[in-house]
Amino acid sequence: MVQTRRDFLKRTAALSAASYLGILLPFKDVGNALAADETTWHRGSCRLCGTGCRLELGVKSGLPVALRGVPQSRTNMGYLCMKGMHFWKLMNHADRLTTPLYRAKKSDKFKKISWDEAMNIAADKFASAVKEHGNNSVAYYGSGQALTEETYLFQKIFRGGLQTNNVEGNPRLCMASAVGGYMTSFGADEPIGGYADIEKADCFFIIGSNMAEAHPVIFRRVMRRKLDNPKVTVINADPRISLTSRIADIHLQFNPGTDLALLNALAYVIIDEKLHNEQFINDYVTFKKSKGDTIDFEEYKKSLVDYTPEKAATIMGGKVTADQIREVARKFATSKGTLSMWTMGLNQRKQGVWANNLVHNLHILTGQLLKEGADSLSLTGQPNACGGVREGGGLCHILPGHRPVEKEAMRNQVEEAWGIPKGRIPAEPGLHTMAMFSAVNEGKIKAMWINCTSPAQSLPNCNKYNKGLAKDDTFVVCTDIFPTLTTELAANLVLPTAFHFEKTGVYGCTERRSQITRKAINPPKGAKPEVEIVRDWATLLAKKLNDPVIDQCIKPFIGLEPEYALPKAIWEEYSQKLTKGRDSDLSGAPYEVLEGMYDGVQWPAPTVEYAKTGGTVKKFVRGMDPLAEKLKTDDKPYQFYGAGHPDHKLWVWMRPQANPEEMPDADYPFYLSTGRIIDHWHTMSMTGRIPELLRANPYSYIEINPKDATRLGIKPGDMIEITSRRGTNIMPAKVYEGPIEGMVFAYWHDQHPDRMINKVTMDAIDPGSKEPEFKICACKIKKVSGPQALKPYVV
Amino acid sequence: MRKCSGFTLLLASLCLALICACAQDSGSSPSESIKHPEITEQEKLLPCSECHQQATPEVYEQWFNSLHGIGMVKCYQCHGTYENFKVEPATSVCATCHMDMIEKCPKDQKCWACHTPHSFKRANK
Ligand code: SF4
Repeated sequence: MVQTRRDFLKRTAALSAASYLGILLPFKDVGNALAADETTWHRGSCRLCGTGCRLELGVKSGLPVALRGVPQSRTNMGYLCMKGMHFWKLMNHADRLTTPLYRAKKSDKFKKISWDEAMNIAADKFASAVKEHGNNSVAYYGSGQALTEETYLFQKIFRGGLQTNNVEGNPRLCMASAVGGYMTSFGADEPIGGYADIEKADCFFIIGSNMAEAHPVIFRRVMRRKLDNPKVTVINADPRISLTSRIADIHLQFNPGTDLALLNALAYVIIDEKLHNEQFINDYVTFKKSKGDTIDFEEYKKSLVDYTPEKAATIMGGKVTADQIREVARKFATSKGTLSMWTMGLNQRKQGVWANNLVHNLHILTGQLLKEGADSLSLTGQPNACGGVREGGGLCHILPGHRPVEKEAMRNQVEEAWGIPKGRIPAEPGLHTMAMFSAVNEGKIKAMWINCTSPAQSLPNCNKYNKGLAKDDTFVVCTDIFPTLTTELAANLVLPTAFHFEKTGVYGCTERRSQITRKAINPPKGAKPEVEIVRDWATLLAKKLNDPVIDQCIKPFIGLEPEYALPKAIWEEYSQKLTKGRDSDLSGAPYEVLEGMYDGVQWPAPTVEYAKTGGTVKKFVRGMDPLAEKLKTDDKPYQFYGAGHPDHKLWVWMRPQANPEEMPDADYPFYLSTGRIIDHWHTMSMTGRIPELLRANPYSYIEINPKDATRLGIKPGDMIEITSRRGTNIMPAKVYEGPIEGMVFAYWHDQHPDRMINKVTMDAIDPGSKEPEFKICACKIKKVSGPQALKPYVV
Repeated sequence: MRKCSGFTLLLASLCLALICACAQDSGSSPSESIKHPEITEQEKLLPCSECHQQATPEVYEQWFNSLHGIGMVKCYQCHGTYENFKVEPATSVCATCHMDMIEKCPKDQKCWACHTPHSFKRANK
């Protein structure tokens, strides 16, 4: 890479014929204020990944000047990554949207309109869609970056007001399989433990996660644990060697999609070598072949004979040895505490739920759960995918407080809390994300609200879905802070919103922890908080549809100022009426409590007194989880009260190895996988506007194994065409020992039409979680030219 | 030994000069007048470490093997980018992650009085 970068540098230098005279680069002290000056510091959460780092925004004369970590916070202990330290630069960015924009047709140019006009248009379009085409002709597509109050209010209006469960969000694309895994293995969503286990773990099993880049501060904690305690074992299982592998003692590199065999083989060794925890299994475990088919330990054991280490090593492609599998199984089972962590490498798969189950299986079999340093911890990608979407009712099949839509009693509880007639919330779950965008393609969705996300870039196989989004059949409202590929392609109406720290609300991160961010600065003139926008829109909707129930949905919020009182009232309703008595109980955590914490509160937290201690570090453990005591069914120390498992047991599942939807073949001989890079967040509409972050990784690369590159005559920096059955990209090659031979890997942040890798990825979905298989598809690659000077592209 | 382009050699000599100047002046205020050699907008799209791997290989190695290197704290996080570049970062930049240490540190002392720049090993005093 170095050689070619140098060549590239020479070429670009020659192209621009710039002189090498020194220039003065004046340094302004903006961004580096200390507490000593008149800067005031305002505590909140980071906005740019699921870690949930706590930070403080420095404000001077009403303007943001810096961000710094909160050392007392249990999530990040003061550390921030580059995204966390720089995002204040977005707050007064020149590209911020500040006026509602409208175009009747998507081929027209946007016109600036007033907020009154905009709200009227939005209400008209949704009301007429409902009147003319029925309730399910409208849809909400939200985000794991929206505040809980925002997601909650949107879904309340759609479900209770417009009577549709077409409520979805981008977390379907990243953590739905983790939800499926937790529900089916533990009977309850979200992890049992959390980050506190990192400093106690003696063995880390990191699979399908490049946490060094995707969760940098969590990685920092793992790194510190390893470097301070060299005997701690770090195992990294991934088809690609990544920056995470730098701290690994063992890296298991296998062909994409063969990790189910690996996980089964680990279970095989654990049982074969009698490393399982017999007492724990007798006390707490049920074995399952399918939901209705309970089996016994012996039958489960028999099912693993196809996964001896030797057989698994062969399935995995031959780079991992049988002895390595045995070694990993022993370390996993016998360490004082084993902590597994994963993200999209397992979740974004057609077998995503199964892969999650198989990791949980290992923890259940060995009893590496419920004790210090041991947990099966799915890392969440977005800052509020857990809090807002999983818990707040942001998916088509889940009502607030982890209530399944299809259960009448659950719907009735919500209707009662909202004071709306029984039966108002439809019994049928709505359309999941890929079905929703398919319905857009078919012209069945007539009005859609896209909040704080850019599906035109982030959907898999996006060419297919962008055809529908570009059509005038679906009226699209986008609420966002910047233009995105989605506002440009799909929106009829763009509403400018307040950004983080310009409004108040709660985020819930990976470890069941809810944390508040209070408004610290004003949004740019013309931008409004979403909760105000939704309330005003719903007020008009009620009139246009002549529907008093919509009025009833927003009645508790009428007249409240939108900066604090309004989100507080929404949180109050949600936490006191909808989480009380549920496993995600946050009734002990009103704003006053959250504001008093450096970090936040881990649910269940049923009383204020308890919430003030920080809440529940470990679920299901009597003495640590108040619900374990309250809901106990016997005298055992662990109580699995999750609503998903009526037998109050953990379930070990038989889950065979199964191939991805698309395997390499003669026409498309490579596996393609995609992922995040440390400097950028999602579709780059924010990080691409911060010069430090943009320059660090201005465009995507395709990573190619040196052996493949040599075979194909590809040199670093060469422009490579990547083609699948769905689309094509052209981007520069990065040749290094990262991806396994036969696999290429691309970053997905780049907005440029040539380098938007989701044109190439696959939209097959996990049948259970409905999460798409972004992580694996088949492609072919070819060199189209030598290195080219590229320009970053941000709409 | 790998071949170096004229440009990287130029950068190397300039940067080494800057570092030497800075080392001699470690007690002074952040050196605002120190210049980064002018490079084109296109060249600004290369990560700092691409050039500095060759321009200042010792510094690169120290960083790469340090806690900052493993933890992916990159050059620009401390030194800024071209518009706000500083050879010697302000202490307030360290405060982004190390506020607790800075509160404990005597006000007249800089972080690198104890922690060797780039390797961040604690200097023997
Ligand atoms: S690790 Fe995530 S939450 Fe923490 S500072 Fe970085 S982007 Fe923000």
